[in-house]
Amino acid sequence: MNLAWKEIKKNKTKFIILGSIIFLVSFLTFIISGLSNGLSQDNAALIKDLPEGQFYMNADADATYNLSRIDASMQDKAMNGQKDAAALSIQMGFVNDADDKQHSIAFVTSTDSKLFESVEKGEIVLDRSLEDKGLKVGDTLTNNQFSGEFTVKAFVDQKKYSHAPVAYINMENYKEIYRVNEMQLVFVPGKEKALEIEGLQSFSNKDFLNTIPSYSAEQMSLNMIVWFLVVISGMLFAIFFYMMNVQKIGLYGILKAIGVKTSSLFGMMWSQMIVITLIALTFSVALSQGFTMIAPAGMPFSLTLQTTVQLSIVFIIIGFIGATLSGIQIKKVEPLQAIQQGEV
Amino acid sequence: MTVFTIDEVKKTFTNGEIDEQVLKGINLSLQEGEITALVGASGSGKSTILTIAAGLQRASDGRVLFEGKNMTDMNQEQIRKIRASEFGFVFQSAHLVPFLTVEEQLMLMLDVSETTMKKKEQKAEVAKILKLVEMNHRSKAYPASLSGGEKQRVAIARAIIHKPKMLFADEPTASLDSKRSKDVMLLIRDLTKTLNITTLMVTHDEEMLSYADHVITMKDGLILQS
Ligand SMILES: Nc1ncnc2c1ncn2[C@@H]1O[C@H](COP(=O)(O)OP(=O)(O)OP(=O)(O)O)[C@@H](O)[C@H]1O
Ligand SMILES: [Mg+2]
Repeated sequence: MNLAWKEIKKNKTKFIILGSIIFLVSFLTFIISGLSNGLSQDNAALIKDLPEGQFYMNADADATYNLSRIDASMQDKAMNGQKDAAALSIQMGFVNDADDKQHSIAFVTSTDSKLFESVEKGEIVLDRSLEDKGLKVGDTLTNNQFSGEFTVKAFVDQKKYSHAPVAYINMENYKEIYRVNEMQLVFVPGKEKALEIEGLQSFSNKDFLNTIPSYSAEQMSLNMIVWFLVVISGMLFAIFFYMMNVQKIGLYGILKAIGVKTSSLFGMMWSQMIVITLIALTFSVALSQGFTMIAPAGMPFSLTLQTTVQLSIVFIIIGFIGATLSGIQIKKVEPLQAIQQGEV
Repeated sequence: MTVFTIDEVKKTFTNGEIDEQVLKGINLSLQEGEITALVGASGSGKSTILTIAAGLQRASDGRVLFEGKNMTDMNQEQIRKIRASEFGFVFQSAHLVPFLTVEEQLMLMLDVSETTMKKKEQKAEVAKILKLVEMNHRSKAYPASLSGGEKQRVAIARAIIHKPKMLFADEPTASLDSKRSKDVMLLIRDLTKTLNITTLMVTHDEEMLSYADHVITMKDGLILQS
């Protein structure tokens, strides 16, 4: 007989309350995680959306890409024969539009590679967010370090760096603006281990992200918030299951007295926990995915189904542990106790 | 025929530093199909010996034999199996499962006793027993909507639905008025006689003793010789 289900059906309110709590807590966690991810996209989509690979910077640069200069011979060595490898530079700067309005941007330039936009001299390719600010294809932009003018050639989606929209420019123009001849970085896509190159230091994508000071600090606090939420929800689950089990001590005692196995009682509790958690999570996954669609465009929010599913699995595991810990009482219940405790 | 023997059973409870011997050597044998009533002053140890016999707690010393098998040597799981399939219990309160209907309470007990009956036969058996306790008209009701006497009748039905060999009852009529008490007592007697169930019952009520085959009086953890 399916005791677990019968109890849920008879005590709907109690289980709906439990389910709502799981729903609210997991929904909150999903949203916060979406915001955290969104901020991280906003901060470094340019890097995050690259395939897994290696960044090289000058070993003397002290892991600060801004200080890195890779001379031509080393650049050749690092890129030698590597498919899709690119030498690139990133610099924060700004451009002025026709109305002399200033826009903060991150200039990016690179050697020919399908991973980065290739741009002709005098042209500029901008992140889509600048389109919302009123810029259009064909507009001309200026920069006070640059003798010529940039013509907006196209907009691209989701290219951000350090919370600024990316502006791809031609390498010649870049060299003029920043008065340098070398690139800061070489990026070599590929999953294999980094090739050791004398005088260069290699970084995985993740390591490279962490060399960006604003990025690592921001992500650390956001991740902390998400994991705190996960831990706190774990405790909430455990406390709720505990209270439910305490309420049912008498019942468990009676069931044991008439000969129900302790393992069946655990099975009953587990299946209730799984059913309630799954239903609650289905709602919060659906709702948070729905929110992804209606989130205002300017809001840094990015929640993939994969992240939600991963977090859901963590919730199920935590709920299971919480329920099991609180279920230790079930094991301890003496049938006699329940019988002597009067009316059930 | 003797089905159940209690042999020199002692029970000591430890309250902090103090050991209190509640049972001081109880000997009792129960005959098949007979009702044995335990009477005696409050605190004399009636419930304690009943629950030890029923496998709900363990004796400190002595032996409890059910059909010749020594229950004091058995592990928890073996005792659980006996409780599930060979014993039935009725207590002062009905202790029904609040979220099951009357019918489901009995189905659960059949389930627990690992009956070999098919679902259909189980349903028929439940209907039959509910008719015996005159509760067939409330088979879909939940315990909360039953009166005290009705609950107790369901509890009795649950105690015997799986055709146990033994029935243990601790003041089954204590929460009922005298008319209802008589009905319940008659019911227990009729059912145990027709099903040939051996019964050990604790009661405070002098009136109930007329339904018993034997009356045993306890005092201070010992049986008074009658
Ligand atoms: N778990 C326990 N721990 C300590 N002492 C206990 C425990 N259970 C029972 N006792 C004591 O054992 C004695 C006998 O208790 P028992 O419940 O068997 O009496 P009883 O004859 O059933 O009384 P009543 O007629 O009031 O139900 C009492 O003094 C009681 O306080
Ligand atoms: Mg008693």
